[in-house]
Amino acid sequence: MASKEDILSKIKANKPDFIELPDMDFSVFDDRKPILEEFIKKVELAGGSIFEVVSIDDVLDKVSSLFPDAKQNYAALNNSEHFNTLNLENVKQAQDLERLDVLVLESDLGVAENGAVWIDDKQLPLRVLPFITKHLVFVLEKNKVVGFMHEAYQKLNLPETGFGVFISGPSKTADIEQSLVLGAHGALSLTVLLV
Amino acid sequence: MKVGLFIPCYINQLYPQVGIATLELLEKLKVEVVYPSGQTCCGQPMANSGYENKSIGACTNFVKNFKDFDYIVTPSGSCAYHVKKHFNIIEQTPEVLNVRKNIYELCDFIVNVLKIKNVGAFFPHKVGVHNSCHGLRGLRLGSCSEMVVEKYSFIETLLNEVEDVELMPLNRNDECCGFGGTFAITEEAISVKMGKDRISDHLQSGVEVITATDTSCLMHLEGLINRAGQPLKVRHIAEILNSQKRT
Amino acid sequence: MNHPKLADLFNEDEKRVDWHDKALWFVRHKRDLSVHQVQGWETLRNYGRAIKAHTLSNLDAYLEEFESNALENGVQVHWAVNAEEHNEIVHKILDEHKAKKVVKSKSMLTEECHLNPFLESKGIEVIDTDLGERIVQLAKEPPSHIVLPAIHKDRHEVDALFQEHLGTEPCDGNPQYLTNEARKHLREKFIEADAAITGVNFAIAETGEFVVCTNEGNADMGAHLAPVHIACMGVEKIIPKREHLGVFLRLLARSATGQPITTYSSHFKKPREGAKMHIVIVDNGRSEQLGRPDFRASLHCIRCGACMNTCPIYRRSGGHSYNATIPGPIGSILSPGKDLTKHSDLPFASTLCGSCSDVCPVKIDIHTQLYKWRQIITKEVKQPFVKKQSMKLMGKLFANPKQFKISGKIARFALKNLPKKIINAKPNVWGKSRDLPTGQKKSFDDWYKNRQKHGE
Repeated sequence: MASKEDILSKIKANKPDFIELPDMDFSVFDDRKPILEEFIKKVELAGGSIFEVVSIDDVLDKVSSLFPDAKQNYAALNNSEHFNTLNLENVKQAQDLERLDVLVLESDLGVAENGAVWIDDKQLPLRVLPFITKHLVFVLEKNKVVGFMHEAYQKLNLPETGFGVFISGPSKTADIEQSLVLGAHGALSLTVLLV
Repeated sequence: MKVGLFIPCYINQLYPQVGIATLELLEKLKVEVVYPSGQTCCGQPMANSGYENKSIGACTNFVKNFKDFDYIVTPSGSCAYHVKKHFNIIEQTPEVLNVRKNIYELCDFIVNVLKIKNVGAFFPHKVGVHNSCHGLRGLRLGSCSEMVVEKYSFIETLLNEVEDVELMPLNRNDECCGFGGTFAITEEAISVKMGKDRISDHLQSGVEVITATDTSCLMHLEGLINRAGQPLKVRHIAEILNSQKRT
Repeated sequence: MNHPKLADLFNEDEKRVDWHDKALWFVRHKRDLSVHQVQGWETLRNYGRAIKAHTLSNLDAYLEEFESNALENGVQVHWAVNAEEHNEIVHKILDEHKAKKVVKSKSMLTEECHLNPFLESKGIEVIDTDLGERIVQLAKEPPSHIVLPAIHKDRHEVDALFQEHLGTEPCDGNPQYLTNEARKHLREKFIEADAAITGVNFAIAETGEFVVCTNEGNADMGAHLAPVHIACMGVEKIIPKREHLGVFLRLLARSATGQPITTYSSHFKKPREGAKMHIVIVDNGRSEQLGRPDFRASLHCIRCGACMNTCPIYRRSGGHSYNATIPGPIGSILSPGKDLTKHSDLPFASTLCGSCSDVCPVKIDIHTQLYKWRQIITKEVKQPFVKKQSMKLMGKLFANPKQFKISGKIARFALKNLPKKIINAKPNVWGKSRDLPTGQKKSFDDWYKNRQKHGE
């Protein structure tokens, strides 16, 4: 504890006089771009794919048609028993998840300006799933897309979860000579299904 | 309007033609210009090298020479910037504050004080503008590529009205030339490389004459051009704006 | 070796310099394209700066708020005055969990503290999992850039490194193949890991959570698989509220790579069931920097690397020429605060062009701080005799118009009348690659006097 006191007392002694937080007017950022079109554009820019499906009941059929060769699937949706080949209750160690081909998750927040989709403990049976899966599919209702990050955080103020993440496109790296390669450590592909 | 002309030390000694062009141009634009004879230097060479305290004499001498003018005009964005930004090391008397407020780089003065765009010049050459950093990012003589602001440039505003001039587009519009005062000596390798890269950008664009608001950048570039024997010339903006059709 | 010497060495291979310069300029260009699409970008920068300035003015209170919320979330919080204490704390946690294999995602703080060699000396394997960091780790080099750690390596060097260390096939530097091999290699490491260490991009006082941003997903792979997650952060990573992420996450990735947001922006608040989460809060000189009014804004930095990408010197000298954990312009104002003598060359590795300040997403006045460090260095660090004397002389000269005129005459005479060979000979550094201006017979002064005399 001595270190804590030491650090805090030095900071107290060295910090400047109090400066107020800025009054922020988020309306200056409103670029009046159509939200859904912008969202679609940005998901694709981030290396993701995006499709519209008619209803939530069509989601798993669409996923099956997109990934015909997938063997290990898991969807955290209602009525997905026929689709799921992985029983999370049997998962004892990380290796058991390694062969997961397709993971389907439902999100209730997307952000148009960067194509990011939010997911948290509420919708995540296991935190590592969206990272360890080969292919990641998000189901998102169209009216759940907001324009900007500040709006997203206004919506996120309610849920009290232990972990949450914005995901924009598949995992990627450009660490070798600035060449973009999709699929670094996380998902190789990301698909958003708009309902 | 009482205008004092400040001719930076190295222009005075090494590039008098730039000072002459500046004075002639201002007189042509009907400005009554006085050149105070006791002037030396703004103090920047010492200050940028970390010896601000050794530049106090230069600052004081500067204020002594220019305190009585409505405007101080100089063909150097860098010196004007230094006076504005770094003359806070001497006592801030009303005279010092006035000098700091009233100093203008030449193009800035013509466009924003005289409100003139066409100075009646003639310069039938392909010109590339080197945006000298202190003028651009210090005095904001134009918009820089880093910021999201509406595009403008005082030097281009004036050049656009020069008869027969052709402004050439560059790959990198506002990258530093690498002069940087004593940097040119202490970091010689990088300084030279930066200059060479600027020059090749201008050459690739078909530029015949590189111009700038600062002779220091041009001195550095000219030194490289002459050593390499490249088909390029440098002219301070005052020289271009003061050029006329031979009759 | 100091910056000029290392830069000189880097410049021996001009093609390499051009390649390095272009690679980074490309990133700067992507940043430009991206930020120019953001309505109100300059306002966003102002907000970012203002929130950081506010936070620093109330930092002790926010740190305490952060700690108490984190504790409530079931996270253990540790405080380290300096690098040594930070390393000891991390080691102690690992020891308690009998952790022998550690996966680490990018954290400049752990670089600053030299955590890897410390843990390795205790028999612990530390694997850097960011691809770029893994590359430099295999090459036994420090990162040369804070966002693009291996930007100085070309694909063929990576190919050779991977063949040697990972047993890959020769591939003529195919990035797709090499990345995929790294994925396989590191996947094993993630699954075997006893503990994961991550950095922190933002720590939110209001909620006690912290945010980690990556494109690869390596922080998450590590943290969600290993039984222990240790997150290391400098005291300046705090922001007051969650809603402020709505400002900083908009600024960060656009400034760094031109992406509108990183692939993953992970918000860690509570450990997952059965796992442990630790946060180590580190000072290591930051509170001192906070006490320097001219330099405290350097603590606003959100580590985007934009000042490196834009810096014409950095692009042509490489990150290693700075000989500091954080290279480039921001490093050159941070490092002197840690060791003034060792880093006294860095504030001079700049032309003060100001591009860094204008590109900075939180508007740190980097070039002004470089100028101010120069003033301090010439007073507190021993300077070359010649430099000191010539500055003194110049100062006197410019204070005295008469002396100035006489010496000007002498200089002009020399330039005009001495042979070029002598003028450009050593030790004239200027003349190595540049001609000096040709001497003029008359100064402007002479011309003006003459004109006055003859009434034009």
